[in-house]
Amino acid sequence: MARPHIEPFVDRDVSFKKLTMPGFKPGVNYKMLSIDKDTGACTMTVQYDAGFKQPPGFCYSEHEFLLMEGSLTIGGKKWQKGLYSFVPAGVSLPAMSTDEGALLLVFYNFGPPSFVESDKDHQNADRTDFKMVDSYQGMDWQNSTLFPATAPGCLLKILHIDKRTFGMTFLYCMTPGFWQDNISYHDCAEEAYHIWGTSWMMQFGELPTGGYFWRPAYINHGCFASELGILAIGRTDGDLHNYFHHDPFSTPEENHERAASRLARMKPALYNWILTSEHNHLPHDFEYPNDTYKTEGWDTGIHMHDDGQVHHHSASGAHSHLGGNKKKKKK
Amino acid sequence: MTIGNTNIVGTLRPKLTKDELAWLKVELEDQRKRYDKIVQEQEALTPQREKWVKEFMERIQVRGVHVHFNIRRVVPKSEIRPRDGRPLQVIY
Ligand SMILES: [Fe+2]
Repeated sequence: MARPHIEPFVDRDVSFKKLTMPGFKPGVNYKMLSIDKDTGACTMTVQYDAGFKQPPGFCYSEHEFLLMEGSLTIGGKKWQKGLYSFVPAGVSLPAMSTDEGALLLVFYNFGPPSFVESDKDHQNADRTDFKMVDSYQGMDWQNSTLFPATAPGCLLKILHIDKRTFGMTFLYCMTPGFWQDNISYHDCAEEAYHIWGTSWMMQFGELPTGGYFWRPAYINHGCFASELGILAIGRTDGDLHNYFHHDPFSTPEENHERAASRLARMKPALYNWILTSEHNHLPHDFEYPNDTYKTEGWDTGIHMHDDGQVHHHSASGAHSHLGGNKKKKKK
Repeated sequence: MTIGNTNIVGTLRPKLTKDELAWLKVELEDQRKRYDKIVQEQEALTPQREKWVKEFMERIQVRGVHVHFNIRRVVPKSEIRPRDGRPLQVIY
């Protein structure tokens, strides 16, 4: 599963296309922001024409959306901009319509857009995490509770957290005059869309209103600044840890290895346990005893061996470092 | 997921239909063009970026680097890793 590094991309520079996939009603237009080459999972800005109507129905993929402009009536209730919804795979949404039209950001997290007319959920759907919330008027801004945290002036509203992976979706803002002087990377992919405002990063320059990025794991970003402030929505596909540093020239491979070495330094008991069980061992979680982990196709499956050779391999290709001098050797 | 937990039921129909595959093919070709354009644009930004990096390296030795929230630390020159000809690649 992989999406390439798309950063920055400004959707105002391109025009809408009609979504003509089977199942969708006329009046759905989209701009593709990023798409997964294997699964068709994607993030798009979507424009519903004025007068658009859609009967009750479900999507096969988990999806999320934020209403950014216009209004949407869903199941008889009229929502204004700021509506955020998390819709698990196969959960039926009530009939939807818009008189004036609507502009949304839509995340299809595991598969391509699909729509099946139905007023009932798919038989295998799990509705537990379904939500619809007025994220603008109904939620408070909070300081980041991540550790280490972004600089003061970057505030969050957490919209959704995946209970297994801690992947999350969040609104964030930067106050006017925001600045953060460090370079960051993460173990997860990160994507974001600017609803309003311009910010700046040392690598990529300015990201204006309508600006978007999909950034795979371990890629440097920052330092950061915003002269007039921003409002944006972000999403990660795993636990977001801020690895801060100040080397603008480090590579994703070095960043990856640094993350692993920090694990060894900060959580030695865990790190050593993983080593003693061989690193391809799939751990058992008593909370989720039936979980298994697919490791093929990992898009950043690159790492450095003690012989100094960097190579790619699928993580399911069993091999061991224990026979070598990994634990003894000091670089 | 970067590494997939197979128990997260993210999609109830993982196998793509013929229509979806055809759509995906078109979208991937468009995405490849978007990516190539980004690489070009970012390449063109290199001289400006080099300046930004130089200013950042100066600032962190005076005003400090953000360690956590409002905590900053002034970086001594001895902790600046020499560049040693390393390129400043930003798109991967
Ligand atoms: Fe980040």
